[in-house]
Amino acid sequence: MTVTELPPFVRADGPDKVSGSGRYTADLTLTGMLHAAFRYPDVAHGRITRIDTSAAEAMPGVLAVMTDADVPDVHYTWAVADRTLFARDIVRFEGEVIAAVAAISPEIAKAAAAAIEVDIEPLPVVNDIEEALAEGAPLVHEDWASHTADDGIIRDGNLAIYSALQRGDADAAMASAATVVSSRYVADASHAAPIEPRAIVAQWEGEKVTIWTSTQVPYDARDGVCETLQLPASQVRIIVPHLGGGFGGKCGFHFEAHIAALARKAKRPVKLVFSRWEEFVAPDRRREGMIVELTTGLDADGRIVARKGWVGIDNGAYMADCAFFPQLAAMHVAGPYNIDHLSIDAKLAYTNHQPSGSVRAPTAPQGCWALESHTDELAAAAGLSPVEFRRRNLVDTGTTGPMGQTFDEIGALRVLEAAHAAAEGSGPLAENEALGLAVGWWPSFAVPAGAYAKMHGDGSVQLITGAQECGTGAVMTLRYLAAEELGIDVEKIQLVYQDTGAAPFGPGATGSQTLLNHGRAVETATRDIAEQLRELAAEQLEAAPGDIVLADGVASVAGTPTASIAIDELAGIAAGGNLLISSGTADVPEYPTLEGSHCVGDQGMAAWLAPQFSCHVAKVRVDRDTGVTRVLDVFAAHDNGTILNPIGAHGQVEGGILMGVGQALTEGTQYGDDGTQLNAGLLEYKLQTIADAPNIHTTFIEIPTANAGPKGSKGLAEAPNVATAAAIANGIAQVVGAHVTQLPMTAERVWDTANGTADQNGASA
Amino acid sequence: MSELVNLEVNGTTYPVQIALDRNLSGVLRDEVGLTGTKEGCDDCECGACMVLLDGQPINSCSYLAAQAQGRSITTVEGLAEGDELHPLQRNILATGGVQCGFCTPGMLMSAQALLDRNPDPTDEEIRIGLSGNLCRCTGYARILAAVQATAVELNSTSSS
Ligand code: FES
Ligand code: FES
Repeated sequence: MTVTELPPFVRADGPDKVSGSGRYTADLTLTGMLHAAFRYPDVAHGRITRIDTSAAEAMPGVLAVMTDADVPDVHYTWAVADRTLFARDIVRFEGEVIAAVAAISPEIAKAAAAAIEVDIEPLPVVNDIEEALAEGAPLVHEDWASHTADDGIIRDGNLAIYSALQRGDADAAMASAATVVSSRYVADASHAAPIEPRAIVAQWEGEKVTIWTSTQVPYDARDGVCETLQLPASQVRIIVPHLGGGFGGKCGFHFEAHIAALARKAKRPVKLVFSRWEEFVAPDRRREGMIVELTTGLDADGRIVARKGWVGIDNGAYMADCAFFPQLAAMHVAGPYNIDHLSIDAKLAYTNHQPSGSVRAPTAPQGCWALESHTDELAAAAGLSPVEFRRRNLVDTGTTGPMGQTFDEIGALRVLEAAHAAAEGSGPLAENEALGLAVGWWPSFAVPAGAYAKMHGDGSVQLITGAQECGTGAVMTLRYLAAEELGIDVEKIQLVYQDTGAAPFGPGATGSQTLLNHGRAVETATRDIAEQLRELAAEQLEAAPGDIVLADGVASVAGTPTASIAIDELAGIAAGGNLLISSGTADVPEYPTLEGSHCVGDQGMAAWLAPQFSCHVAKVRVDRDTGVTRVLDVFAAHDNGTILNPIGAHGQVEGGILMGVGQALTEGTQYGDDGTQLNAGLLEYKLQTIADAPNIHTTFIEIPTANAGPKGSKGLAEAPNVATAAAIANGIAQVVGAHVTQLPMTAERVWDTANGTADQNGASA
Repeated sequence: MSELVNLEVNGTTYPVQIALDRNLSGVLRDEVGLTGTKEGCDDCECGACMVLLDGQPINSCSYLAAQAQGRSITTVEGLAEGDELHPLQRNILATGGVQCGFCTPGMLMSAQALLDRNPDPTDEEIRIGLSGNLCRCTGYARILAAVQATAVELNSTSSS
């Protein structure tokens, strides 16, 4: 379908966004508002020997300066509480906040932050995953045994979290294999890079603070403020104005507490707006660098008999939300394949880099890139085409995945065939062009969520949801679900959202779960009002409530359409008596069971609810003289269950694929020997432009999925970001005759691979 | 040093007292009070701050406000005619070219400038015309479609 052939989708926030009237956090100004600036270290690792804020405090226009001494003594973060709001004694990465200033202008705030005198004695920098895990490596956290941590976390040197997937007997099965292939792939870290840099405004009234912030997760932000400033949840209200994208980069609790603390000290509202450099180095949500080593054994028919693997993941300096990354990464390098004998070790290592965290499909694009490059190597070793090799090995309906999960109806093989057929039908290839194919998978995340609904006396509806719109349109789609339950026009439904003071809990725009979870909550809440309307209509029409049909704004008796009453009229009647109000929380679907497998350091990521499958085929053209790759077309087929909003769904696939093109070719963070980022700017870290964008051809294989989201839907926003880089890699390998073993596959790396001069560290063993 | 500067924005003249080193995007947002123009980088890298200066697209983050005196500035707030959305605004919503919307104002201004100088652009010309505007959400296909649709619409109204 072309873009204009899809059924219309009217974004409730659309007119605000195209007219310029919509407010994002940085657009807000409050009377008496001050401006914040942070002081960062100039080094990635060092001991603070002196901080002197007196010169900054004496500057005219400066109203507050804060350091660690000014906030409660609290260590925070999930899994391992290794972090404080302000650096204490040691700085562990270049973007760590040492001090914060509030002043009457941004310029004065910046000058004052620079005037804070900080003496730092440099410490050896842990700049690499394998270096971090080596015997005798300098420690990022000397004292981390003293921090509280979840049960089962082994604190061993710089090893933050260890997980291992085990099934069958991989060693014995490998010994029996007809063919064995080993590979090593290394992916650089990268960034979410939303176009809106983060912004925060905090204002106190008495004991209560309201914080407007560009977060994807308002409730996490609230809980972080409560934990670190020791406030009850009832005193902290988080409001998110329009959010200018996130992609995971704005998940987690970031700087809300710093700004709230400054505002309390200065007794004035305070605003923070990040520069692009800060957006690159300071948030604890960078896409993790990763090393993947895989060995796979095949039988004589090209079927996988065993896989062994090792994954090293760069956690950065502090624990953000990476605790589940080792297990998730291990699942991605195991892949959606039938493998009876599996053994994969995955290690998350502390380094002196910016902390890693959930960026769109964490661990998946890199894991899939490594696995699917390896898979094409396996196909070649077996003498099979890439598509035939996958036909023989992919999981599908009724088969059992690598960790022993038996699948209900899934579309793994169907997406493979659909994308392959679309690409093959696209015409002949020119010289130096190739079609690269890759398959990816991604779980759906079920969590509790709530919604309130109320129908006013005029028949209009307010839907109060804890869901967070980050641009995908998922929250906007909730109106359509409500309109269908109530039988009224979608235009009558107004959303109240992104306000922890008004809405029930929601997990935020994270894990592609907005429609999956909030959709069920909204259906439950509005179904309750629909029931109330049916009862009212039954009284009016002298019929049984079960016979009342709500559609097109009218309640009518089934089979007797003339016996009817307008829903608006019913709402008017209710307004004089029992009000039409309701609430709903979604029952959380049960996770599938696993058989015959075993996880060390289990973080619950090996049983996948409503798994999503995708196959991308990239048509690439490689310039052999320069190594520059162009992606001309991407043919994508996706199983994301029932599609609730076709325009939104296509938009997610297109945006995810383009992000994947960037990850494939240009987006990689480079570190200097001192552990600082060398390309923390949009000129040096190149996002794809409209001139670079391939034509994207998307097919949805719609399989209504039980035990998932509304109407059999699954998650969607992350899945399109999984397989693109891998597909491009396999295209490049066909043109240049070998796999590029480092991500991104920059022109230089492609050229080196084509000419046999590639860096051995990333090269296939 | 601050000075009184008269800025003509969307047909209205705003006298603003500003330091001479201030950039146009900041002055539009903080002094004139029009926050539709966004700032994504402050360094000519993203295009979120695109406005028209005498019809030419410029990155207003990297342009001195005082230099815009005596010239006509158009921001996203000046695109619609009263309550009626401009065809570009209408079409970018209809095609699904808006997700988070943070790039949208700048994208619309670049598209407007392109259609003003080239009412019937090819796909390639649209791609070049909008290549200074980064969008992280959409993959651009629906933005491209919105500009194509607008060109068709404007050409059919002007020839009828
Ligand atoms: S803000 Fe001007 S180009 Fe990015
Ligand atoms: S719509 Fe979000 S950056 Fe373009």
